[in-house]
Amino acid sequence: MVTCLGDMFYPEVGETIVRLLRRLGVAVDFPAGQTCCGLPLFNSGYHADAAAVARRTVALFEAAEAVVVPSGSCAWMVKHEYPGLMTAPADRAAAERLAGRTHELSQFLVKRLGRRQFHSAVGGQLTYHDSCHLLRGLHESESPRALLRDLAGSEFVELPGGDECCGFGGSFAVRLPEVSAAILDKKLTQVEATGADCVVACDAGCLMQMRGGLSRRGSRVRAVHLAEVLGDAR
Amino acid sequence: MTTRAEFLARIRAEMGRAPGLFAAEVSVRPTRPRERLALLRRELSERWREDLERFGQEFERVGGVLHRVSAAAQVPDAIARIAAERGARRVVAWHGDALGLDVAAPLAAHGLQASAAPAAEVDADERGRRRALAADADLGVTGVDLAIAETGTLVVVSGAGRPRSASLLPPCHVAVFDRDALVTSLLQAGLALEAWHDGPPPAGRGASINFITGPSRTADIELTLTRGVHGPKEVHAVFVEQGLGPRRG
Amino acid sequence: MSETPPPTPLRERARQALQDTFLHEALTIATTKFIGLRREAFGEFPDGEALRDRARAIKEATLQHLDQHLERLIDNVERRGGQVHYATTPEDACRTVLDIAKRTGARLAVKSKSMATEEIHLNTALQAAGVTPLETDLGEYIIQLAHERPSHIIAPAIHKTKGQVAELFARELGREIEPDPEVLTRIARAELREKFLIADMGISGANFGVADTGTIVLVTNEGNGRMVTSLPRVHVAVMGVEKVIPSMTDLAVFLAILAKSATGQKLSVYTSLVNGPRRGGELEGPEEFHLVLLDNGRIRQIAGPLREALSCLRCGACLNVCPVYRQIGGHAYGYTYPGPIGILLTAMLNGPASVKDLAHASSLCGACADACPVRIDIPRMLIELRRSVVERRIAPWPERVVFGVFGRLLRRPALYRLAARAGRVLQRPFVRRGAIRRLPLFFGGWTRTRDLPPIAARTFQERWAQLAREDHR
Repeated sequence: MVTCLGDMFYPEVGETIVRLLRRLGVAVDFPAGQTCCGLPLFNSGYHADAAAVARRTVALFEAAEAVVVPSGSCAWMVKHEYPGLMTAPADRAAAERLAGRTHELSQFLVKRLGRRQFHSAVGGQLTYHDSCHLLRGLHESESPRALLRDLAGSEFVELPGGDECCGFGGSFAVRLPEVSAAILDKKLTQVEATGADCVVACDAGCLMQMRGGLSRRGSRVRAVHLAEVLGDAR
Repeated sequence: MTTRAEFLARIRAEMGRAPGLFAAEVSVRPTRPRERLALLRRELSERWREDLERFGQEFERVGGVLHRVSAAAQVPDAIARIAAERGARRVVAWHGDALGLDVAAPLAAHGLQASAAPAAEVDADERGRRRALAADADLGVTGVDLAIAETGTLVVVSGAGRPRSASLLPPCHVAVFDRDALVTSLLQAGLALEAWHDGPPPAGRGASINFITGPSRTADIELTLTRGVHGPKEVHAVFVEQGLGPRRG
Repeated sequence: MSETPPPTPLRERARQALQDTFLHEALTIATTKFIGLRREAFGEFPDGEALRDRARAIKEATLQHLDQHLERLIDNVERRGGQVHYATTPEDACRTVLDIAKRTGARLAVKSKSMATEEIHLNTALQAAGVTPLETDLGEYIIQLAHERPSHIIAPAIHKTKGQVAELFARELGREIEPDPEVLTRIARAELREKFLIADMGISGANFGVADTGTIVLVTNEGNGRMVTSLPRVHVAVMGVEKVIPSMTDLAVFLAILAKSATGQKLSVYTSLVNGPRRGGELEGPEEFHLVLLDNGRIRQIAGPLREALSCLRCGACLNVCPVYRQIGGHAYGYTYPGPIGILLTAMLNGPASVKDLAHASSLCGACADACPVRIDIPRMLIELRRSVVERRIAPWPERVVFGVFGRLLRRPALYRLAARAGRVLQRPFVRRGAIRRLPLFFGGWTRTRDLPPIAARTFQERWAQLAREDHR
């Protein structure tokens, strides 16, 4: 599942993931006709529309053995909210099946494939921002860290306040943009204070927010997706 | 104005429309709490030294000062020392029966103005007079119904001869206790509360129970901690190793 | 019945709050400290998680038989000589208290901190009836002098500097006051001590009402709760109906986690159990004890979408971790209760329409649900409120149009891809050096402080054909 933000704004991340998975021996397919998981509709209260999008998405991925998602928030939407959005029992069962087969990227690599050792594609010092849906929604904080710590060729440093929100929150970022920016400002100050060259995240929303702020600040720090730092497997 | 019946009817109506979110149970109450408490006390009497040690650590952590004396007769000396350190002259105390020892007379012998609360009901004028005494006092002496080791907490039950003001109005509170008051945990204190409320209240029992964990405090101004806001600024606990006399209430 | 909505829109209130540099510093220091204290307290408390689960279960189980527990509470309060009153609306509650004041000839009422009395605007009603209400919790005393409302559920004056407090005291007392917290505290102690001793009525809230015994429980640190419930001849406690708990055994569970969640203390300095009026032989204690049971929107939620919010212990832990609260503080929320739980409580008291903007004062990060001692799923209910606003068609129509279009696009992949291509064309004038730095209208909110990536020259879907072929080489 490439996700809407991934498709539109970070297609190179999607490409990197496909190639990475293939190098690990995984056959990757991409069901055509993907649009979005529906999270923005769901979060803003448009649940009838979100349910329609969910049903569509479930059908699209019916045949997949596993679904890999580069964003924690989208993975959460599919795993946690899809079943509850369905009224018809058959739809709900299908959604639950999909939920069981869906994995965020770091979870797929570490827990499904058991692969944690990679060469770094970037070098230097890396820090990690826990995106809220991955951390609190999917209770996942270890898999990304395992991958980053084991990277050969770069160093990992913890981000103080890494578990605090970056301020994206979807439409929140444009409904209350000043508050969103103030939250981001705090996050980026913490990021810069680590001395890291890159801040890694597993969510396109967080990346859009952090990259947007870092470039506006003229910072030398880059915000990158986890996939972008994973080189060849070791 | 809404009546009881109307109010509860509305609640019942709403309850009827709500299936509940998940299966849940309230806590199991002890069936014979007074017996259970007595049993607990016997068990705890084996470990009073550990509990006292823990109590001391937690009590000091929240700003209390723990003193130890061997015999009840030494308690007035300890109180007098605390008073002298603070330049305290006027003392109000629980009645001797409630404390398990008489402090008023020995404290007077130390040159302090000490008065003990009356043991029985007095009229409103007398109560007013006593309140003024407590408000003017420098130091208040009370007993302790429970000393919770886990949290460094003194639990005091009010009643005849056990005024609330003694642990509230004077800026220094001195609480006198022995090993019988010690319990290990807050959950055990819950058992004591069950026991104390089981059956009709005994004669002389008051309407107020207070868990006191250190001196009065606030951090409302710029999160700076200050002590002695409305309640006492200092809390002392005097532990009597050989035990206090029998106590009423 | 409802609170008056604030005169300025949420976004404007938030903007103003963000510009207040002292507020920002005060909030950062206070919330960071509270977070650390709470973490430490639970860190050394291995039973903490299990007790949180217990607490959550007790609250839910109590709701499932709320009528029975309340009846027991009422019967036991009455058995001990107290009187119980039933207030459906804030006006009912205020009228009840005023009637008691009138009947007992009360002119001065001392109050210990009670959010329930804030919610019903009791002070205003008392004042209007010629009864002087005097807040005695130091933080509440300060904001009363400042004619403000509390900005945090447990630290009401957290937004004030010691200089501002000194100024307030100076104005009140007519003399110069040193801006030192110790000095200020001593002054408050002396001023209020006098009043405790002469007040006719004491007014408190209640953290818990124990049904088995008819006991009201107050959790405080300063001692004013004890004064207010022991010295004046009349004591009135205002308590939301959801505060009832079945037994003393249940009480111990809540006491074990409440102070830890609020301030990191094992227990607050004073946990006061009130068993009705003064009994024979006591020197202190009120002659009359009144319990005012308050509905004000709570009963409706027993079967409502905000039922879980009825478990709230008013500890403030969710405020301390909320990224939005930490930036804008309590006043910007515009109603009695701020922070994440405050949005839910505002909806409870004033209806979902009152939070059509506030429901979006959240990035849905979930830190609140994590910190909540009774595990209230606040984000879930915020989304529910947003849904309610959409379904009642009170969301602003431009938003509904945009989301309507978006929803349709997401179900038609061909249109979606077309929209991407159209977007690529439309964005051209705005793309500079690979980023979009300025966008008009609605999206200007983003670009004022952040860059935006352009829609990629080839989306992932447009690259897939080639990627697929790569694999087959």
